[in-house]
Amino acid sequence: MRVTVDQSRCQGHALCAMHAPDLFDLDDEGHSFVIADPVPGGLDEAAYTAEAGCPEEAITVDPRRPVHAEQARS
Amino acid sequence: MSAETESGAPVFCAAHMLDSWDENHPQAAFTELATTEAPVRPDGMLVVATRQELTEFLRHPAVRATDGVHFNLGGKRPLIPLDLDGDTHRRYRGLLDPLFTPKRVAWLEPAIRARTNALIDAFADAGSTELMASLCGPLPTYLFIELLGLPATDLPVFLEFKEAVVRPVGATEEEQQANMRTAGDRMYDYLTAVLTQRRAEPPRDDLIGGFLTTELDGERLTDQEIVDICYLLVIAGLDTVTSSLSCLLAWFAEHPDERHHAVADPGLLPRVIEELMRFESPVPLGHRWVTEDIDIRGRRFPAGAKVEVLWAAANADPSAFDDPLTVDFARPHNAHVGFAAGPHRCLGSNLARLELRLAIEEFHRRIPDYAITAGERVVYTNYGVRAAIRLPVTFPVTRG
Repeated sequence: MRVTVDQSRCQGHALCAMHAPDLFDLDDEGHSFVIADPVPGGLDEAAYTAEAGCPEEAITVDPRRPVHAEQARS
Repeated sequence: MSAETESGAPVFCAAHMLDSWDENHPQAAFTELATTEAPVRPDGMLVVATRQELTEFLRHPAVRATDGVHFNLGGKRPLIPLDLDGDTHRRYRGLLDPLFTPKRVAWLEPAIRARTNALIDAFADAGSTELMASLCGPLPTYLFIELLGLPATDLPVFLEFKEAVVRPVGATEEEQQANMRTAGDRMYDYLTAVLTQRRAEPPRDDLIGGFLTTELDGERLTDQEIVDICYLLVIAGLDTVTSSLSCLLAWFAEHPDERHHAVADPGLLPRVIEELMRFESPVPLGHRWVTEDIDIRGRRFPAGAKVEVLWAAANADPSAFDDPLTVDFARPHNAHVGFAAGPHRCLGSNLARLELRLAIEEFHRRIPDYAITAGERVVYTNYGVRAAIRLPVTFPVTRG
């Protein structure tokens, strides 16, 4: 599973980082970025919660998006 | 309540004209608007009230903060960054956003706890207090003055100004605008004098000190720019947190079971605050201007239109929030817009959250049991900002 933040939409509400701190952090301007890609096991629900809880609809979860072999190993 | 518009008195908000409007519990009226197809005010202003329409409307590049003539809250010039758009707006947000991230505001925690406790000390032994005057009103103003680096003795200057701008006096909109401008002029003069003085002193490590030394695209900010930024921060930092804190404490006072739940599990408090910010929506609305004909979800917004964007209605929209009139601390998805949304989303939301959390933590640590004083009631205002302007509470006094 992959989760992404559309930087053109993120306005820094920070709800994702508050509710799913293992998946998102905030940069120096307060905008969200993903810190766990692909989504580690056990955090699927947190990813969906963040997606549904983003006021700007900036977060997308894709359960089928292929993970490159290199990233899957890391 | 249609008489209000027929008399020529100012229309403040589409919800205030509904039969379902209730000053104490306005949420049902906001839900009614959120479930009305393409709502329009009696004076013709288009209203955005559903959660989904709001997101798409605010994302459209033709939706602007001002028309370049009318500025928010009595300002003579555009407020930075609220009255700016596009690249200019992005430049200023790039300067200001870093100053208000969760990490950058965390250093204020000891000051917030100390100031909260100092205010509680003044009434803890009395067994009763009026929380707007004793805590909600002064706390954010003290903290904001501290953040800016201004003397605490200037507190009355700020309290008077924010009252004049947020709840303007006047029988007509013109009178209200004139009174707001007078208060605005006084604040501009005050801030200009402060900057003149600060430039003559050694640099200090507070927000004004930061503005005096920071550079935007390689150039220092002018006094005019700093005054414009401070003017907005004064308004944004004072009344909004005061109002939010009063709404939250009033809600807790009237919901003892839920309060006990929140006190017993302090880790729950951030979620509790988000849910109450959704439900109470202390800043109920904003205005936007449309620069060209646009269609949002099949609805036409014509060029030149001024639009009322109702955060409070979007937060009570049943298509976005199950059972929106119920406060649910365990609400799984809470994409609320209590801090607004889009490019002009609240700059200080993380500071506001910190102040609210710490103030409520400290208050509940010292006074976990309280209720509205017998024979009295909470008095709310919903004009400008929703606040419990009279919040009389009684509590058992614990000695030692």
